[in-house]
Amino acid sequence: MNLPNPFELLWRQFRNEWRLYARDKAAMFWTFLFPLLMLFGFGVIFRSGGPPALTLVRVRPAQETARDKAFLKALEESRLKIVTLGAKEAEERWAKGETTAQLESAGDGYRLRLNSYLIAQGQVAAQAASQAFLVAQARLNGSPEPERIPFVVESPGHAHSDSYAAFLVPGLIGLNLLTMGLFSVGMVTVSYREKGKFRRLAVTPLPKWVFLLGQILQRVTVVVLQTAVLLVAARLAFQIANQGSNLLLAVLVVLGTATFLAMGFALSSFASTVETYGAISNLVFFPMMLLSGVYFRLDSAPRWMQNAVFLLPLSPYLRVLRGVFNDGATLAGHGVGLAILGAWAVLSFVLAVKRFRWV
Amino acid sequence: MPDQIVVRGLRKQFPKVLAVAGVDLNVAAGEVFGLLGPNGAGKTTTLEMIEGLTPADAGEIGICGLNWRQHAQEIRARIGVQLQATSLYNKITPREALELFGSYYPKRRQTQELLELVQLQEKADAYHVTLSGGQAQRLALALALVNDPEVVFLDEPTAGLDPQGRRSLWEVVRKMRSEGRTTMLTTHYMDEAEALCDRLAILDHGKILRSGTPAELIASLGIPSVVELTFDGAAPDPSAFAARLGIPVEARGDVWEIPTPDPKTLLPKLFTAIESERLEYNQVHVRRATLEDVFLQLTGRSLRE
Repeated sequence: MNLPNPFELLWRQFRNEWRLYARDKAAMFWTFLFPLLMLFGFGVIFRSGGPPALTLVRVRPAQETARDKAFLKALEESRLKIVTLGAKEAEERWAKGETTAQLESAGDGYRLRLNSYLIAQGQVAAQAASQAFLVAQARLNGSPEPERIPFVVESPGHAHSDSYAAFLVPGLIGLNLLTMGLFSVGMVTVSYREKGKFRRLAVTPLPKWVFLLGQILQRVTVVVLQTAVLLVAARLAFQIANQGSNLLLAVLVVLGTATFLAMGFALSSFASTVETYGAISNLVFFPMMLLSGVYFRLDSAPRWMQNAVFLLPLSPYLRVLRGVFNDGATLAGHGVGLAILGAWAVLSFVLAVKRFRWV
Repeated sequence: MPDQIVVRGLRKQFPKVLAVAGVDLNVAAGEVFGLLGPNGAGKTTTLEMIEGLTPADAGEIGICGLNWRQHAQEIRARIGVQLQATSLYNKITPREALELFGSYYPKRRQTQELLELVQLQEKADAYHVTLSGGQAQRLALALALVNDPEVVFLDEPTAGLDPQGRRSLWEVVRKMRSEGRTTMLTTHYMDEAEALCDRLAILDHGKILRSGTPAELIASLGIPSVVELTFDGAAPDPSAFAARLGIPVEARGDVWEIPTPDPKTLLPKLFTAIESERLEYNQVHVRRATLEDVFLQLTGRSLRE
């Protein structure tokens, strides 16, 4: 009896997986379009390199005094955008939650109201306003204006990638890998098992490894393509390029793919229905997505929380990836992060192999 | 030709129930063999052990003279299986599914020929999700035949089909038989078992209660006919009437069933009894005994219960 050549079968399985994947509009959206939308969306919002200009609402005084006028002039020279409103409109705007910081007269001085929901931006606005006030006072008194210390914007690795979009690119690459592992691999495995697709295959002579490898190879090519699309888009739209070695970047993408793929398989062994898996995977996905530094660094969080998050695989992974991509660094100095990532890869792989079930 | 399927002492214990409690059976080459029994009788578990899907706790299984321990891949290449619920990729078309599954086997049938066999030519390029229940069932059958199998296993092949769908599936099974394939199927429809199967085993609580050809099984009742008396509304208690008649009468719904070896002598006695009891009945029928009656006699329960 001559069973078909397993490598020909593997090629066929691989093509079949791709064909079915390409027909799944939702998968195509999340895989290729969503990362691009995030990149363009955030890239455009934060185009200037820093956060967008902050708006300070100034409540128009009943009588504009010389001091008020001097203060306003100094404010307009600052990085703040000043909107002057009557007391009533200002109050309405405040009530709608649109105001970050509001400057109003209080007694014979001034007072700043900061929106507690936007406290970080509010504090920046407050500092800029205070500085403008010092400038205005100096001018009124005829004394020398306070001196400003000049600053430059630079990434931690002294490289040129100083825009937020550049920060975002490695984050999105990492997020893609996590999504691929948890959903394209883990969720699909659980659903095939629950719905009995594996059982139907089990009564055919198709070797199981051929089926699994075909699936894995398809996911890996998706990831490679996805990363390529992101890198090309970042270069064309924002002139963001890899600052480090391309070989290192490729090695890191392969390492990340292997880790998150194994994690998907491992996690799938803990659920027997798609519903249970949905709950488990969200429990893993959301904290990792929000806390690991995909979109923002967690610098203002308590130290213990930052340390805890660094023990999850995505956070050290993104740090190494950013080191190479944004700062042109090598792997030196990332020993701890790589060790944590490696530990996750090994743990996931062992769990995946030991616990994998067909039925 | 030796028997294509030989099973000895097959057992399967699930955590809470002994699903299969020692099953022996033989299926000859070219035969259509049916496992008949109610839901939960152990039909599917028996079938899945023979198909190599579920490991048996004990027992021997031989298929085409091969066994699962030594020849698993060869057996898989030579059998065709339709599971009770066949799940496929949502966005695969019947044509693609047949090509894909066909590629797994050393020997394969033409896709077009299979599509025609199960009358799916018009849906050949539609996504699997868009097929009706009957169409999906027919595709599952075509997939079971994709490797030109010597032995075919069909688990509840007509479950959920409309009467026309069942008839056309019966035709396919008859065609398989005429092509010399060996078929083993499960069903809980006695008419299906009677219409399709050369031989049957009646299964309940994981045991074969009796096996043979449908005719043999019905003959084993010793009562080839049943007289049915239909009432308007629920049938009255038949015990007094049965005592008067001197033979058992079974009340089921709005019907009394009176099994008899000899309707010719029973009927005059029956009408006399009806007359003197002034029994208000609606209709009287005489029918042949069926497998349903065999099952009822063996288990005291109806197949459909």
